Amino acid sequence: MLALRTPGLRLALRRAGAANTSSRLRPFQSLAPLQRSVQTQSVAPAASEAILNAQRLRRPSSPHFTIYQLQVQMYMSIVNRATGGALSAALYAFSLAYLAAPVVGVPFDTAHIVEFVQTLPEWAKYGAKGALAFPFAYHSISGLRHLTWDLTKMMTVKAALRSGYVVLGLSAVSTVGLMLM
Amino acid sequence: MATVSTHAFRRLAAVHGNRPLALAAARFHSGRPSHVAKSPAPRKDTPTYVPGGPILLGTVNDPTTFPPPSKSDGSHHWAFERLLSATLVPLTVSSFVLSSSPYPVLDGLLAVSLVVHSHLGFDQIVVDYLHPRKFPILGRISAWGLRLLTVGTLVGVYQFNTEDVGLTELIKRVWQA
Repeated sequence: MLALRTPGLRLALRRAGAANTSSRLRPFQSLAPLQRSVQTQSVAPAASEAILNAQRLRRPSSPHFTIYQLQVQMYMSIVNRATGGALSAALYAFSLAYLAAPVVGVPFDTAHIVEFVQTLPEWAKYGAKGALAFPFAYHSISGLRHLTWDLTKMMTVKAALRSGYVVLGLSAVSTVGLMLM
Repeated sequence: MATVSTHAFRRLAAVHGNRPLALAAARFHSGRPSHVAKSPAPRKDTPTYVPGGPILLGTVNDPTTFPPPSKSDGSHHWAFERLLSATLVPLTVSSFVLSSSPYPVLDGLLAVSLVVHSHLGFDQIVVDYLHPRKFPILGRISAWGLRLLTVGTLVGVYQFNTEDVGLTELIKRVWQA
């Protein structure tokens, strides 16, 4: 009999055979011991979301961001955001420092700033000018490119690539021009 | 002598009232023969199937909710942002061209436009990377903290432009220092 070869059922079959007094096993008699008992666990309904989120974390996702070849437009887009964020952070920091300076006791006004900049060596001055000029030039010219997209112009891949190179070239030239002023 | 076809034809004629065109059409009709009884009406105790609904909510499998569509949050916000960015171009250019002598009103306009433009940009960053749907506490703290910082920056920029020399003059002096 095939059931005898199944591991784990031998004990159950022996028990069923011992309970059966007649020599023949009638059909469907005491099949309950032949089934394995399933363990269940009570879980509160509120835990269902946690279980679902835990399961979602375990599920695989097909590769997307890691396999796409990075394009220059992607870099330019994130650099546009980064430069804008950096310039805005500088503006916020400057304004809030100007407000907080009398409270803290540190002198912070135009005269002191200009005095401090005059004490810096030449390379630091050019470095600071470059650090301010490049984000400003790049963000402005890339912003113009973004505004042309908002007017639904130059929205093909070729046009985006070409305008991107134009932006890079113009911002490099503008940065050098601003640094030399 | 009545054949099978004339017998069927007479039955069809009885149903369609002897109208010639209807009779002719009924002979070629590919639908159910008219002498077959209609199927019984559906039982009332089973719910009627409504394609696309009803949807039972309240489980973990609910779809994500979307904010109610509003023009102030959507199209007007977008248009304002682009218009502000566009006006910043002539503002900065004119501030640069006229930087030889101070113009307080232009300084004020430039400062306010820059701060509002910065706030819109930062808000986009917060919405993109710290959305309240995924970061319920940190996202809300960031959004409201940004608003607080923007208000502080507006006050600071106003103070600087009124008490001190102004933004364009400061940049000009630092650049030529």
